[in-house]
Amino acid sequence: MRLKIRHETSYVYGTPATRAIQILRLTPRGHDSQFVVNWRIDVDQDCRLDASRDPFGNAVQSFTVEGPLDGLTIVAEGVVETQDNSGIVHGQAERLPLPVYLRDTPLTRASPGIRALAEQASAAAGPDTLPILYAIMNGIRDRLDFIVNVTDSGTTAIDAFSHGHGVCQDFSHIFIAAARHIGLPARYVSGYLFHTEMLDGQAAGHAWAEVLVDDLGWVAFDPANGIAATDSYVRVAVGLDYLGAAPIRGTRYGGADETMEVKIMVNETARAG
Amino acid sequence: MLSRTADTLFWLGRYVERADNTARIIDAANRLATVPDSLAGETSEWEPALAAAGVLSGYTEHHDEVDRDPAIDYLAFSPDNFSSIKNCLGTARNNARAVRTALTAEMWEAINEAWQELKRYDGARMDRQTLNTFLSRVKEACLRFDGSAYRTMLRHDAYWFLRLGFYLERADSTARILDVKYHVLLPEDAQVGGGLDYFQWTSILRSVSALTAYRWVYHESLKPWLIADLLVLNAKMPRSLASCYENLATFLDHLSLAYGRQGPAQRQARSTMTRLQNAQISEIFQNKGLHEFLTEFIDENARLGETISKQYLT
Repeated sequence: MRLKIRHETSYVYGTPATRAIQILRLTPRGHDSQFVVNWRIDVDQDCRLDASRDPFGNAVQSFTVEGPLDGLTIVAEGVVETQDNSGIVHGQAERLPLPVYLRDTPLTRASPGIRALAEQASAAAGPDTLPILYAIMNGIRDRLDFIVNVTDSGTTAIDAFSHGHGVCQDFSHIFIAAARHIGLPARYVSGYLFHTEMLDGQAAGHAWAEVLVDDLGWVAFDPANGIAATDSYVRVAVGLDYLGAAPIRGTRYGGADETMEVKIMVNETARAG
Repeated sequence: MLSRTADTLFWLGRYVERADNTARIIDAANRLATVPDSLAGETSEWEPALAAAGVLSGYTEHHDEVDRDPAIDYLAFSPDNFSSIKNCLGTARNNARAVRTALTAEMWEAINEAWQELKRYDGARMDRQTLNTFLSRVKEACLRFDGSAYRTMLRHDAYWFLRLGFYLERADSTARILDVKYHVLLPEDAQVGGGLDYFQWTSILRSVSALTAYRWVYHESLKPWLIADLLVLNAKMPRSLASCYENLATFLDHLSLAYGRQGPAQRQARSTMTRLQNAQISEIFQNKGLHEFLTEFIDENARLGETISKQYLT
């Protein structure tokens, strides 16, 4: 599938900021079933983007803008060609020893409830890893409702699980916590999802998880939708949790009344094949 | 476009690139052969040169021993060697004539004039001076053809097929040049040899015109694993494997957009490109070793040639 993506993030400062620093994980890298045809990042202020790689192998850009600033807009856009590989990710940049992905973080710590869910799924689904992971996914979907604007980016897996609702980020955190609890290395993925009913300018990217499965390697699961990733998924960054893979992290000096607006468009484009 | 025309353009690109690469290999071997024996020991530069050009087995069918003069003759002039520079240019010129209307006047003149001039040379009376002139002329002719295509050709399928030929051939050549010398390209923690190795490394870089590029990129003395890094993984280096595959993926993508469909060639080129982009040279040395990595790459590259051929050229 050939997808054209545009991701615009705008900040408006009620009182001008004197300086802003941003770290972007907005550039997808290729793997066997993902080919980045072209990609660019534009910032509407004069600045220098410093490109680097983080320890997870993500492409990172960072910049500092000197104020006074009453606003800042960052646009990432490009074309990515994807293929359906049943969620299996091969040929990606792999930089860290695999046991690193067993580490829990404040956002992905497991509560007794999450552990119980993982253990039940593991007991019920038999020896193979894939059915266990599907059972965990279904268990999470039974327990949680997908409701936007109630949780935020700081909500932990434990909180979302006990409240019984969340967004893709919360589903993924719980799923990762459960997988790690039964000894499977798991990581958080941020990226884009194309779906036909999508409204232009939706306000959020998508998030899912990858789990290391014997014989298959990393397999991507979308716990919010209960499926393995398809060619509608564009993988941008991975991390131990949301904070490690967040598209934009930053801070500003001075200024007040910050409002942020995100517009994302994912469209299918001139189809080849 | 007829698949026959596409095929002719593809091979036109390959032969011009091959002539250029062989000229560079001879040039580098010739320089290395001037290193005094006291430093080099009893080594022959011409066996690796024949292997890098991929014609060692053909050579041994015609000659019992590897020596400078017959080796140069076989690489550059011999009618028995399908890939000799003279044969490459002759075939390229015939291909160009067959698809004359798909080329621009500048391209045709470049290849035709090169052939008219260079066919007069033969291996019999080759002193060092004449050989150097010949090799420079070959490189200039290839540059001129390449530059004419770049500057004058319409960017459509004819251009893309020509470019695919160039980059596929170039990737093969760089991989072979490295593979022939893999035993002097050792990972970071290995014992580094003496003065001869230094000449060998320089020679590798010279044969892909990368000696100056190396200094720009790394700002340090020659280190074998960095040479491998430059020629395998550095996409900014035009003869590196990574760069060749970025180009192959791009031109195959143009073709798929223009024709409205894609196939195994696109997928295969992308997959190899991605692996090169995501790899690290230390991993390559650790996991398989450079030799095995390059052998696999050369096979994979040849398979891509077959895939392109099946998908577009037959």
